Amino acid sequence: MSVITIDHVTKSFGNVEVLKEFTQEFQDGEFITLLGPSGCGKTTMLRIIAGFEKPTTGEVRIDGKVVSSKDVFVPPEKREIGMVFQSYAVWPHMNVFDNVAYPLKIKRMPKNVIREKVEGILEVVHLSQYADRMPSQLSGGQQQRVALGRALVAEPKLLLLDEPLSNLDAKLRESMRYEIKEIQRKLGITVVYVTHDQIEAMTMSDRVYIINRGVIQQVGHPIEIYRHPANQFVADFVGKVNFIKGLAEAGRIRIKGIDQSVKYDGEMRGDVVLAIRPENIELTSAEGHLTGILSSMYYLGDVNDCRVEVGDTTLRVTADAHTYDTLRVGDKVGLIIDSFLVYPDDGNDDYNKILT
Amino acid sequence: MQKKHYFDIKWAVILVIVAFLLVFQVFPLLYLVYRSFFSTGKFSLEGFSRIYTYEMNWSCLKNTIITAGFAMIFGVILAFPLAWLVGRTNLYGKKFFRFLFVTTYMVPPYVGAMAWLRLLNPKVGTLNVFIKNLLHLSENPFNIYSIWGLVWVLTTFYYPYAFITISRAMEKMDPSLEEASRISGASPLKTLFTVTLPLMMPSIVAAALLVFVAAASCYGIPSIIGAPGQLYTVTTRIMDYVSVGSQQGLTDATVLAVFLMAIALLVLYISNFVVGKKDYITVSGKSTRPNIVDLGKWRIPITILVSIFALIVVIIPFATVFMTSFTTNMGKSLFAPGNFTLKFWNTALTRKSILGSTKNSVISAVWAATLGMIVCLVMAYLLKRTNVKGKAVPDFLITVGSGTPSVVIALALIMTMSGRFGVNIYNTIFIMIVAYMIKYMLMGMRTVVSAFSQVSPSLEEAAQISGAGWLRRLKDVLFPLIIPSIVAGWFLIFMPCFYELTMSNLLYSTDTKTLGVELFTYQTYHSQQTASALAGGILIMVIGLNVILDKVTKGKFSI
Repeated sequence: MSVITIDHVTKSFGNVEVLKEFTQEFQDGEFITLLGPSGCGKTTMLRIIAGFEKPTTGEVRIDGKVVSSKDVFVPPEKREIGMVFQSYAVWPHMNVFDNVAYPLKIKRMPKNVIREKVEGILEVVHLSQYADRMPSQLSGGQQQRVALGRALVAEPKLLLLDEPLSNLDAKLRESMRYEIKEIQRKLGITVVYVTHDQIEAMTMSDRVYIINRGVIQQVGHPIEIYRHPANQFVADFVGKVNFIKGLAEAGRIRIKGIDQSVKYDGEMRGDVVLAIRPENIELTSAEGHLTGILSSMYYLGDVNDCRVEVGDTTLRVTADAHTYDTLRVGDKVGLIIDSFLVYPDDGNDDYNKILT
Repeated sequence: MQKKHYFDIKWAVILVIVAFLLVFQVFPLLYLVYRSFFSTGKFSLEGFSRIYTYEMNWSCLKNTIITAGFAMIFGVILAFPLAWLVGRTNLYGKKFFRFLFVTTYMVPPYVGAMAWLRLLNPKVGTLNVFIKNLLHLSENPFNIYSIWGLVWVLTTFYYPYAFITISRAMEKMDPSLEEASRISGASPLKTLFTVTLPLMMPSIVAAALLVFVAAASCYGIPSIIGAPGQLYTVTTRIMDYVSVGSQQGLTDATVLAVFLMAIALLVLYISNFVVGKKDYITVSGKSTRPNIVDLGKWRIPITILVSIFALIVVIIPFATVFMTSFTTNMGKSLFAPGNFTLKFWNTALTRKSILGSTKNSVISAVWAATLGMIVCLVMAYLLKRTNVKGKAVPDFLITVGSGTPSVVIALALIMTMSGRFGVNIYNTIFIMIVAYMIKYMLMGMRTVVSAFSQVSPSLEEAAQISGAGWLRRLKDVLFPLIIPSIVAGWFLIFMPCFYELTMSNLLYSTDTKTLGVELFTYQTYHSQQTASALAGGILIMVIGLNVILDKVTKGKFSI
């Protein structure tokens, strides 16, 4: 339950500027996700909030109290934050109980209070029967929950999570996503969550920050970001997307290189890039908005993942699974485009080059 | 706004230790160099011209370079195949051989000199006589009192340095590099020469240089072997100059020491900054199990060959020392009637002066190891866990200290710590502790640094975010996780300090005589058997501690 204010924060390592001018406020009880490719600066931002890194310039305040600035630096151990590390960082020489009890022991709480609180939190993370186990006897998911329990036990105002699910297998990741969200809702704490996994960001967050190369690209609710990506990078990073170059005229956009066009009633004119999500294209053996040749199909069960050659560009289409039964590779197909986005074409292809 | 920073005790501790290194290591060594140029108060090369126009000194320099050079070449030629056989093949008894070779590393070199003196004495050497009779030679084949005798003993005692360095590099090498060669169609031998050897080259060069410096700065071996044969090296010469006692003697010693130091630093520079830069062997972080080469039909012959080597180089010398300690008349066989005695062991274990020296050695070695480990831990923390500019400097200083020949360290401390600059610890046990620390901290440092690298920083950060301060984090998280390495590092400093000879010989006073000096005095002046009994005691202790260490670190013996 705290408000984090990040005020004109920048961070450089030597000559490399990893965060550029970050000014944001995270509200009380919000679930904030910092989403971006590796090396985009999201973990650095999290570590600045935790106090493991000092900002090069700017100021960080928690509940109005300055914790990092030019003149003030509160070390991490004085910030009363909970944090879950990517590697879990569960201490291998302490059992589950001692791991979770540690923050309370530091606070010199009486033994019985510690026991009560630890047992309570172990209940929350479903580890009650494992209290005496050593971390080496636990699975990855259980270690993960130990780390979570340890981060929550001292009832922090703020919980930081640094790619906590990236080392888990797909099934476990899915269930942990809901558990984390559930715990956050129950305790009502502010959470800052760092990930490069868009699904985690979409399912848990109140607000998502898309970051690339140290710059915030877009801030918003998951739905808003998915439906109205602010730029090509966001469109490409969140969800799947096809980009086609075109020329916008009154009423139509002409696809470059071929003699086809789609209807367009927007304002933009001149060189543009069309962004079409694969699920927003329907395949039909009849006439569509565009025509192409079906070049490959992969049956995935729930959908049919197809590639269609339109002129010299390949479009990815996630079609209804039933299309698999009626269409054959090499067929001429029509494409019905339900919706698309248009961005001005500045000749820059950087949006899909992900820096590491 | 008012400046507000939380006080962090970490920086205070780090500063104290850096100051310690500056005062007791950097300053003395710098002063030594200064003195060699400014012996009369103003700049002069008089000392140099006096020393280097003297024929005798040139022959010392020559002897040092030749013996250390050959010890280096032979040492690496022995160590590489041994390291490969023990580390990467299905040789029989690998663990045992490894233990033997590593143990040799922990044994004081002068013990080897004592043994070989008995074995290869030109007139009565046991091994000499044995070989003469075996091959019906007209005279004894070997003379230990020669430059080749010196090379032999230096080699047999310094090849383990190369063995350990090369083994460690081999363990770190990613086995898939070799597997890639095999899958491309190369035989195991072809792989050895086209992949393993080239990749190991930087480590081999580093190992060679390590042997060179160790052999060149060794005092015990050349003084026991060389002196009877009128064979002097730089180290024995420096010792002679110091024992003259006069101001001029001290100056002359300094000038020679600077030569030795220059060689050592040059070698250190080459191995760390020229060769070290080319190190391809990257630690991947995950412990990879090296693939094992099948020796096939060569397995038994090669095992026999390695056994013979171990017998000659390790077992016979050690056994000789023990046998000598039980012999009344050294001219006769131990098994001749009435020649067996326990009186030398009795002397070694009961004589007051010996017990006193042992006590001194234990006290100073315990202090050196304990203080040394504190320095190592804090400096390793500085190196591995902070982002300060110059965080690698203390590590560098510790490396330089260890690379500096013992005589040079002792001399530098004598010159600076005997009152001239307001500190007088000469004739106290403290000067020895300081000297030991400078010389032997590196082993502890390496052990702790590698332990730190294996503990993810996030474990400590997790404690920090839980509210624990620096000391608390060390106590609760870091130390419990690296305690085996701390213990190992402590012993690695303790053991060489316990039997140290060279520096103690220059620094001891009547009250602070150490075991090494005691043993050396007995060997040279009184009774070789008593010296052998003492050496035998040290051997037993070294092997015992080695076994304990092996248990404590769960076989992950970390030197």
